[in-house]
Amino acid sequence: MADFIKHPVVGLPDRKPDPVIPADQLHFSDEEKKQIQTWISRYPTADGAVMRALWLAQEKFGFLPPEVVQLVADELNIPYANAYGVATFYTQYFKEKKGKYVLDVCTCFSCQLCGGFDMLHYLEEKLNVHKGETTEDGIFTVQEAECLGACGSAPMLQITNGTYVHNLTEEKIDALIDALREDRMPAFTSVTLPQDEDELGGNRRSDVEHTEAYQAGPVSETTR
Amino acid sequence: MSKAGDWRNYKRVLLPPVKDLHKLDVYEAHEGYSALREILTTDKWDPTSVTDEVKKSGLKGRGGAGFPTGLKWSFMPPIDPDVPRFLCCNGDESEPGTFKDRQLLEYNPHSVFEGMLIASYAMGIKTGFLYIRGEFADWITHMEAELEKAYDKGYVGKNIMGSDFSCDIVIHKGAGAYICGEESSLMNSLEGKRAYPRIKPPFPAQKGVWGYPTTINNVETLACAPLIIRNGGEWYAGIGAQSHPGPVLYGISGHVNRPGVYEYPTGMLISDLIYEVAGGMRGGKKLKALVPGGSSTPVLRADMIDGVTMDADSLREAGSMMGTSGMLIMDEDTDMVSFLRRITHFYHHESCGQCTPCREGTGWLENIVTRIDEGEGNLRDLDLLMDLCSQMEGRTVCALADAAAWPVRYTIDRFRDEFEAKCKPSLVPSGADLVMA
Ligand SMILES: Cc1cc2nc3c(=O)[nH]c(=O)nc-3n(C[C@H](O)[C@H](O)[C@H](O)COP(=O)(O)O)c2cc1C
Ligand code: SF4
Ligand code: FES
Repeated sequence: MADFIKHPVVGLPDRKPDPVIPADQLHFSDEEKKQIQTWISRYPTADGAVMRALWLAQEKFGFLPPEVVQLVADELNIPYANAYGVATFYTQYFKEKKGKYVLDVCTCFSCQLCGGFDMLHYLEEKLNVHKGETTEDGIFTVQEAECLGACGSAPMLQITNGTYVHNLTEEKIDALIDALREDRMPAFTSVTLPQDEDELGGNRRSDVEHTEAYQAGPVSETTR
Repeated sequence: MSKAGDWRNYKRVLLPPVKDLHKLDVYEAHEGYSALREILTTDKWDPTSVTDEVKKSGLKGRGGAGFPTGLKWSFMPPIDPDVPRFLCCNGDESEPGTFKDRQLLEYNPHSVFEGMLIASYAMGIKTGFLYIRGEFADWITHMEAELEKAYDKGYVGKNIMGSDFSCDIVIHKGAGAYICGEESSLMNSLEGKRAYPRIKPPFPAQKGVWGYPTTINNVETLACAPLIIRNGGEWYAGIGAQSHPGPVLYGISGHVNRPGVYEYPTGMLISDLIYEVAGGMRGGKKLKALVPGGSSTPVLRADMIDGVTMDADSLREAGSMMGTSGMLIMDEDTDMVSFLRRITHFYHHESCGQCTPCREGTGWLENIVTRIDEGEGNLRDLDLLMDLCSQMEGRTVCALADAAAWPVRYTIDRFRDEFEAKCKPSLVPSGADLVMA
């Protein structure tokens, strides 16, 4: 056999890595199984529910190592390859373990021009990580995100695929990090429409406590 | 001239100033679900007349391509009771600069459901999928809660309002991929596959999700349907620009004093939107450029917007497109090379990798623009970029490759001096120099 086949120059991925999730934890509860069945019933074929099932699995196990993808595939009775293909297509599914809180800072388009990179760099420096890395204590992962659909309230970030934080400033980031260290998640914030501010005095929803207006973004120090 | 008439006294209809409109009882108290009721309980309407009314309204899709909605609905094949058919409501909203659908979903969710039901009635559809991008997790929870209330009230589900029309709505949560907004990619995503766009034809109306006839419309497009039925197609056609009528949600971001989502008629003067609606330029700076409808639409220089209005015709004449009406406003200090660099990064990141010109091309666009931005580029790189764009445009399965090429082509074309200034000076004398010597 040619030498380079026995000793490849690049590291090949381990096709059967040791499971990270202990076998006794690797299962869905009856309730979760029922939930998955409800999702399946809404689509012509079980495959339709794979994205929801992967979401559920990620929320339960934190990320999607092969054994978790296999669990999802088994539950839906679809080939592992299909579930794996889906799990690896989308950016929000985590293929490796991340920090307890993943901070996705948008630096795209509008955010780039309104201080998005400044916020990203501030976070990187504050937490002493580069984008894509996790802090040593395993609490924070900082990532650069593509447009998150909140361009008017730039710069902004999203916490672990969930809550949006709008109109970021350094002070806001300081407060956010302090809060998250104590496991206090910021509440959902509704961004009010400028026309509502004129005609309804701002907040149109009586069922949300926290609102913010769209604000002119800061001047960007850097755009890369 | 503005085509939006007396826009200062415009009364909002998509997001009317009603407190708690997102709640079902408030929506009902403000004529909510009355259009659906009229369709289902009076003899005036059958599926064809609903589609005709939408055609009469002149409504054009708000998802980016601006395709006439009524016409799209009429592409569905004749109803065959044995063949299922589907509606997809596109709430993937990932085009950079676009953030209007999110506001509509939050503040007027039932208008989206009602629009989906009206469209389903018009096309004989029994299942509608509402595809929302995964990042909008909070809004998905919100929509699911409201959908359950609509089910409980009998507005969605079996025998709606006692009629023989039944229709389910399923909310599908995405997981982060811009490409899922492309209609055929969205269909693959729904089916639980990797979200690769499909080759067209066959078009969705012939072969859509799970191979069955399917129609796809944007969230804002469908939210217009109840308004059209309630007030008539003629009323709708009378709002804003004649050739591209209706209310529209402008998402204004960037260097303005008052960014945000605004509802006004189509055909607003761009200058009115910047200086009157959005409170003018931040810090009193001068306008340099703007992108009228999301990152894919060609950038316009400040001197190109005189008298230009926000509708397909006027923007085409000016050299751009309406897109999603997500407007990015840039002031005089903006570095257009860095700006383009970030856009090329976006498309490189989001290419699904199916077609070689797109997968490789988006990467090279990013590499070369980055090289120029870092001061390492040569003048001939600008020609190389243009050549690359020509190699990508119109040669791929979906329009992402075009959407990636246009910003490069037009930003360089319209701000060439800035790109040249960042390139290394040419060592070889140009042809002109040789002739002069
Ligand atoms: C790369 C790409 C991304 C797209 N993203 C979106 C999107 O996020 N939302 C949307 O409504 N349409 C998007 N579209 C347009 C859709 O393909 C489709 O034209 C639209 O949803 C049709 O709805 P409409 O006729 O109501 O506009 C995208 C198209 C392309 C090529
Ligand atoms: S053009 Fe790009 S995004 Fe579209 S199918 Fe081809 S590779 Fe995928
Ligand atoms: S550009 Fe940052 S949210 Fe759209």
